[in-house]
Amino acid sequence: MISLDLTREQKRIVEKTRALVREEITPKSLEIDANGDDQFDWSIANLLSKHNLLCPTIPKEYGGLGMNHLTTALLIEEISMGCAGVATVMNANIHAASPIVLAGTKHQKESFLPLLASTTPALAAFALTEPGAGSDVESITSSAEADGEEYVITGTKDYVLNASAASFFATFVCIPPFHNRASLRAFIIPASTPGLSLGRVRNKVGIRYANTSEILLDRVRVSADNMVGGNRSGSGYLLLTQTLDRGRALVGAVAVGIAQASFNLALNHARTRIQFGKPIMKNQAVSFALAEMATKIELARLMTWKACWLIDQDQDHTTASSMAKWYASEAALEVTSKAVEILGAGGYMANTYADKYSRDARVLATVEGTNNIQKAIIASLL
Amino acid sequence: MSFKEIGSKIQQAREAKGYSQKQLARQVGCSQSALSNYEKGKRRLYLSQLEAIAQALNMPIDYFMEPKTAPANGLVVEGEDKEMLRLLNEIYALTSEERRDVMDYIMFIRWRRYKGGNQ
Repeated sequence: MISLDLTREQKRIVEKTRALVREEITPKSLEIDANGDDQFDWSIANLLSKHNLLCPTIPKEYGGLGMNHLTTALLIEEISMGCAGVATVMNANIHAASPIVLAGTKHQKESFLPLLASTTPALAAFALTEPGAGSDVESITSSAEADGEEYVITGTKDYVLNASAASFFATFVCIPPFHNRASLRAFIIPASTPGLSLGRVRNKVGIRYANTSEILLDRVRVSADNMVGGNRSGSGYLLLTQTLDRGRALVGAVAVGIAQASFNLALNHARTRIQFGKPIMKNQAVSFALAEMATKIELARLMTWKACWLIDQDQDHTTASSMAKWYASEAALEVTSKAVEILGAGGYMANTYADKYSRDARVLATVEGTNNIQKAIIASLL
Repeated sequence: MSFKEIGSKIQQAREAKGYSQKQLARQVGCSQSALSNYEKGKRRLYLSQLEAIAQALNMPIDYFMEPKTAPANGLVVEGEDKEMLRLLNEIYALTSEERRDVMDYIMFIRWRRYKGGNQ
């Protein structure tokens, strides 16, 4: 028997986060969205760090909340209802910390994880994508050449979330002479390391609070101690797939949050907008659309919860996570689009919540592996 | 190296050691069905699981991860062998048509050498 009851602690976290979002994040969300990728507003990050929410999955022994994936999904959904860009900053942190949490040495954990759980806000970035390598990791050209007790890292990473504000980068590069999955390794590169610099700022259409840039790695020297998972064949690839398989479920949570916020906006409008002497909700064309939207959100939420639950139980979660990410991101696209239709002309205005939700939802079908990649993963495991 | 290939190598190594799935699963601390799915490539396995399996089978983790053309016994390859291994890996990554082009070029080099020797 499966229970869908939240624990008392989970309910407390949801209520507390909902109040935080209502009072502090939603009122600022259009402003930080408009400011976009060019400038990072630390006030929201400060607020989250005050509640130790910047990276809630950090284990308690390293100063974090030690939150499991299901509770993190509840939190991410609430934050996404206020601003998906803020939730994306948190997800990027969780991603960057994940290889260290999963396979880091004691020294790596003690050196880097507490940074993300400090009351002084700090961010981290996950650097995988390259100009010529997206979903195809075998096309990664960035390399780490061994030189005594150090590695010299050269390459370019693109579309790196949190890049301009990160304290460190979890970076995936290959060990020459090979460039394949077996030669992939994960390195932690502190942002202050000589040779690491920011390239082009990527001005995105949505999730604009999560600043995004290229990072340029020009003979960046790091200690061999910064390699996560050890210099064993495939360590980087196996950590990468585990991190992505976990992260996809949380993308599902972002999608559910955006869809729910968009739905709430449309429902309120449908109940209060009077046309032909009655609320437009009284028309089946509108009420049925809202019924479909509510059903899709609920299904996306349940799929996300299931994937997170499987992760927390240490059970096979790859398929569930891909399904949740795929379905929830498609649902968010449909719901935000339908909401704009219900809102009428007001829904088409720039710099409004409806506009922001639509733009934020658009990216979710692409990040963490496109939805076609999700189908390929699901099919490969049938 | 796909998860199916990794799984297939686990099965081969397990059978070579004479272990049943049940025996290896017990050693590794997973269920027999999980191990069966790893072997069939129907469940992804991650670093910690592969480490445990490699340890139980007394094999280096590299054996399970290296592409077909790489050394499967954890040997350190240097010098000319390393160059040859690199060449093989580059060829391995090509399409069938590109491999035929490489073969044509090899035949051309051999022909040129033969012609040079006969002049």
